[in-house]
Amino acid sequence: MERYEVIIVGAGPSGLSAAIEAAKRGLKVIVFDENDKPGGQLFKQIHKFFGSKEHHAKIRGFRIGEQLLEEAAEAGVEVQLGATVIGLYSDKEVNVRIGDSIRHYKGDTVIVATGAAENMVTFPGWTLPGVIGAGAAQTMMNIHGIRPGKKVLMLGSGNVGLVVSFQLLQAGCEVVALVDAAPRIGGYGVHAAKVARCGVPFYLSHTITKAHGEDHVTGVTISEVDSHFTPIEGTEKTFEVDTICMAVGLSPMSQLLKMAGCEMEDNPKRGGQVPIIDDFGETSVSGIFAAGDVSGIEEASSAMIEGRMAGVCVSEYLGYLSEEEKEAELKKLEGDLDSLRQGMFAPKNRGKLIEKTDEGIDVSMNLLQKGYVSDDEIERFPGVVHRKGVHPVIECTQNIPCNPCQDACPKKCISTGDNITFLPFIKDDCECSNCGMCVASCSGQAIFLVDEDCGDGTATITLPYEFLPLPQVGDTGYGLSRSGEKLCEAEVVLVRSLKAFDHTNLLTMRVPKEYAMKARFFTKD
Amino acid sequence: MSRIIDRSMDIGEFVPQPDDDMLICRCEEITKGEIRRAVHDGMWTITEIRRYLRTGMGLCQGQTCSRLVKGIVARELHISPAELEPATSRSPMRPTEMKVMGNEEA
Amino acid sequence: MNRIEEHPILGKKEERQEVTFTFDGRELKGFEGEPIAIALKANGVLIHRYTKKEHKPRGIFCAIGRCTDCVMVVDGKPNIRTCVTPLKAGMVVKTQNGVEV
Repeated sequence: MERYEVIIVGAGPSGLSAAIEAAKRGLKVIVFDENDKPGGQLFKQIHKFFGSKEHHAKIRGFRIGEQLLEEAAEAGVEVQLGATVIGLYSDKEVNVRIGDSIRHYKGDTVIVATGAAENMVTFPGWTLPGVIGAGAAQTMMNIHGIRPGKKVLMLGSGNVGLVVSFQLLQAGCEVVALVDAAPRIGGYGVHAAKVARCGVPFYLSHTITKAHGEDHVTGVTISEVDSHFTPIEGTEKTFEVDTICMAVGLSPMSQLLKMAGCEMEDNPKRGGQVPIIDDFGETSVSGIFAAGDVSGIEEASSAMIEGRMAGVCVSEYLGYLSEEEKEAELKKLEGDLDSLRQGMFAPKNRGKLIEKTDEGIDVSMNLLQKGYVSDDEIERFPGVVHRKGVHPVIECTQNIPCNPCQDACPKKCISTGDNITFLPFIKDDCECSNCGMCVASCSGQAIFLVDEDCGDGTATITLPYEFLPLPQVGDTGYGLSRSGEKLCEAEVVLVRSLKAFDHTNLLTMRVPKEYAMKARFFTKD
Repeated sequence: MSRIIDRSMDIGEFVPQPDDDMLICRCEEITKGEIRRAVHDGMWTITEIRRYLRTGMGLCQGQTCSRLVKGIVARELHISPAELEPATSRSPMRPTEMKVMGNEEA
Repeated sequence: MNRIEEHPILGKKEERQEVTFTFDGRELKGFEGEPIAIALKANGVLIHRYTKKEHKPRGIFCAIGRCTDCVMVVDGKPNIRTCVTPLKAGMVVKTQNGVEV
């Protein structure tokens, strides 16, 4: 039986982060992962992350994954893939299935970073081929390069549902509707806005009543629900689809911790059955830690910090760090973690209806219910300004800890003030050079460069465009509203694809000037 | 830590519902109605339901249906899922063939 | 054609070796090393098995090897999770009925 100082279960973002922290201090670490590739769900994330520079903001998920793997290799982390941990015991012994045999390992400490599994909802026809989890859609599109289907209905308006819907559009699928039984969208408003302006309709307070088809999905019927989530007769709507995606939440995969005798609790705010841990991840069994989604559903950014904290803790536990060094490290990491847990979507605010932003501005109800900010609401927000010449318009309307826009502008036109959770605003003395860096750096794709009056009755709008085929200068088409409706005729006058924009192309369209603050997307004839 | 449910509690009669034929355990093809009926047959914990019906005993070993089964049983008992005694977590945590279980390397 | 030729963020897939395999006696093409389930999907195959009790069709559900709905008989062995098993040239893949061959 081989002995390791740290055994880590799971080579996702938190497991790898923990491994790096321990290995770089000289501990003997092994990471087991049941998959044949490391990185957990990180490599499926093709969108730019939120947060601040420390949180890898503005970097696409899969690139963060690549960076983590490089760091792990440099630190000398041993990762055993295709290794399923089938048993964890309170004395920190681990049974691992590798190939066709079972091997035993003994750890001085164990960090469980097994992540979470998708939830399900049932409806007649849910077992038909064509009904898949949202994670399955991501795996198919972003790892294996295949479309899950042609016409998709997405169930679930949390961040997963919103982000995967956008990824389906990027992969060339049609998203016929986004449905959620809740009365309000659960994920970030900017994620919803990206999808809404492409014309995807949102049906809140609706549920799926039936998936149609004999041996695979051919259609789906949804129905409005009342406050008890009971379908209301007469409100049925049927769509022709070949795929139904479920994004209805995640549950921690914490069974190994339970098996080892850790005290568990059923905590709905954390996603279900979670271990009871201290602030840094130690469970009730001394030397067994939990990090990442397994201890509470959050995001990859928090998972990575929690992993680092666990790595620091085991290093001190085994004598590689003094108590003071550990406190200093943990203090910094705790600060990073805390800054992520702020704002409208913070874990502490889960379930609450927040009606005003921290600045006292009324939150856009239309955004929460339909996925887009309406024309009369948009002017409330500090990023929406009217200036002469080209200037940024920032349609960021919810408090989320995020600030790549602040760092992006070479002229320092944009600021989030003292706190990265505050809504970004444009400084009075801003002299915009039309470089486009702010448009490309906004992970929420919520920044536009607008010249409200070019002098000839037209306006130009520069918007982020992450689809193929990429329109070309001279292409004519339509300017779409925030809700994806055709508003006016539009012509493409400039297309910029710089390496610095990292695959976010900047498309500039000319529209009649009365649509300067209304048109936010382009579609060809 | 086990939560003891008072077995003298009156949970009412079994009332058929229109979605009783909804499949819950995909692997063993157990319906919602069968689970609800099992509760009225006296199976009040997840472990009992599992042994009585085989929910969670199929190929995927409960990875898809456990949360759903928990919700249905809890609702039938008129308690919150958090109060229900969770299923025992025991090795092997993933489906494993017998030949593999017998092939242990020390 | 449901394979993504060029993705706006991920670009084009790297060059892969095309191989032939059989599905229920039909000769199909796929790429070596990709999951069998993906190769089947690229060929329009949606049904992987029929359930034991009700003989209902099942296909890909979770795509990460956890739900076991995509299992098929591969090279004579049943219950093979096709979404995490890499395709090899000449593989013989059959629709599974129930839980045995």
